[in-house]
Amino acid sequence: MLHTYDISRKGEALRAAKDGAFDQLPIFDEQIECASREYIEALQLEKLKRQVKYTYENVQYYRDLMDQAHVNPDDIKSLEDVRLLPFTDKSALRDTYPYGLFAVDLDQVRELHASSGTTGKPIVVGYTDSDMDVWSDCIARLVQMAGVMPSDNAQMAFGYGMFTGGFGLHYGLQKLGCTMIPAGSGNTERHIQMIEDYGTTVLIATPSYAMHICEVGEEMGYDWESSPLRIGLFGGEPCPPGLKAEIESRMHIVCTDNYGLTEVMGPGVSGECLASRDQQHIAEDHFLWEVVDPDTGEPVAEGEMGELVLTPLDKQAIPVLRYRTHDLTRVTKEPCECGRTHARMDKVRSRCDDMLIIRGTNVFPSQIEDVLTGIEEVTPHYHIIVETVNGMDSLTVQTEIRPEAFSDSFQEMDAIRKKIEEKLKGVLLVGVKVQLMEPGGIQRTAGKAKHVDDRR
Amino acid sequence: MSVKQISAFLQSSPGHLARILALFESANVSVRGYSVSDTGDYGIARFIVDDVPSALNVLEGEGVAHAETDVLCLCLDDAPGELARVMKVLSESGVNISYSYSMISTYIVLKCDDEGKAADALSAAGYEFVSLSKIPSVA
Repeated sequence: MLHTYDISRKGEALRAAKDGAFDQLPIFDEQIECASREYIEALQLEKLKRQVKYTYENVQYYRDLMDQAHVNPDDIKSLEDVRLLPFTDKSALRDTYPYGLFAVDLDQVRELHASSGTTGKPIVVGYTDSDMDVWSDCIARLVQMAGVMPSDNAQMAFGYGMFTGGFGLHYGLQKLGCTMIPAGSGNTERHIQMIEDYGTTVLIATPSYAMHICEVGEEMGYDWESSPLRIGLFGGEPCPPGLKAEIESRMHIVCTDNYGLTEVMGPGVSGECLASRDQQHIAEDHFLWEVVDPDTGEPVAEGEMGELVLTPLDKQAIPVLRYRTHDLTRVTKEPCECGRTHARMDKVRSRCDDMLIIRGTNVFPSQIEDVLTGIEEVTPHYHIIVETVNGMDSLTVQTEIRPEAFSDSFQEMDAIRKKIEEKLKGVLLVGVKVQLMEPGGIQRTAGKAKHVDDRR
Repeated sequence: MSVKQISAFLQSSPGHLARILALFESANVSVRGYSVSDTGDYGIARFIVDDVPSALNVLEGEGVAHAETDVLCLCLDDAPGELARVMKVLSESGVNISYSYSMISTYIVLKCDDEGKAADALSAAGYEFVSLSKIPSVA
């Protein structure tokens, strides 16, 4: 007789996956998620044609680009024809800030979200009712991949605010039928108290914050093994497999992470199932993916590593064509053991550009450079070290003290260091540790300087 | 009455102090006393040298972050309670010591927040200040 797993019980989802009993794990929309490749691609083509026409007719920016390239919506006859379309880079959203790429009137927009910008200018995105439905749909799918059930109580440890992570997950979990506990970020001890008092079964957090919660709980003497918590849903930053395994064993939970970016929707573009834990299923009915050579923009061979390019197929408020994610990955269309047929991308571990994600916040070396340039006591030479300290991202900026700024007093030197730390924090919105170096103490390199040492 | 002390920025990495000392050696500068303290991330090395201009010159030339500071040098009697007596003189006159270190046996360096007041109090208490040339060499 076949063993039955009660997925809503702690440890059962992982046990079922380990036993290969994937038919007992939930799938939110089996009809779509397990559709044949032919069906998926036919649906994608139908949607692509519609979306390109919609975009051309409603967004001046794209109309101009397509006219310049002599491309007409009617030219899209196959999925490969997507290559006729212009790429979109983050700069397009910044240059048209705030509403330049919107295809609908603002009164049709239900919600606005924003993402941190590189030079103080953020990007803003909007969602219509239909966009919100698609988004919740994507989230509901990926949370069920981790074994989340409608009976779960889900505690949010992302900040809400303008960041897409908070509300994105919130609506999707609600759509599934979960009880939301909108705790928000910070106050770790309170999080642990709430998990215990409210019977929280699902925690949504960055992996580094989850690790922090784990450790604080251990210090408080909280017994994670007998805790009601059974699932961690991670996002906001890449999750190293080692960290995930560590959290799973110490908190006695199962953890998955998802991929997404504000420019094409937010979290939920792809999600990890329990059969392919280094990969994520792309919601292919909502997103057309390409993998291109980051230098030439030409497609790479199937299964090869390259830059992920995404075209959302249902987006109404801001239709985006061929968005260059700058994330490096490879994609396979092989069916997955979990039963889903949607293509899987390798989890993103590196990017074409050098953006760093520190505790869920985007940090660009250029921002650090700009701040240091404005401080007279230091040279513009710098070096960034990112490491994991106690499960959290830690950012250290080394900068050289100018000979004339040196003083015999530790107090004065420390005041310089603190001043730089404060200025950096004001711009980056994450805490930074500044390390003063001697003049010439930062290694000089010929050609393109290597500013970042990411040890995570 | 005060002497010139040279301080240098020390990056917390191996060989840094050695490099500065090698520079002194190359300029034929002799170190008569020194102190090194650190914060974990960086430190400050303080030197009393026999030839201040040469020392400054070589540090300047090599781009070492450094500073020149006036400090007081005293020679104490070699007897119990003498160090305590100096500190008492200063505390009674309301002078704060930023840092202090000893050179050879009874020769000490003092950096005070109010140098003039410290010097007056110490003179009144009968102390003599030591100039660089009066710091004895150890045979």
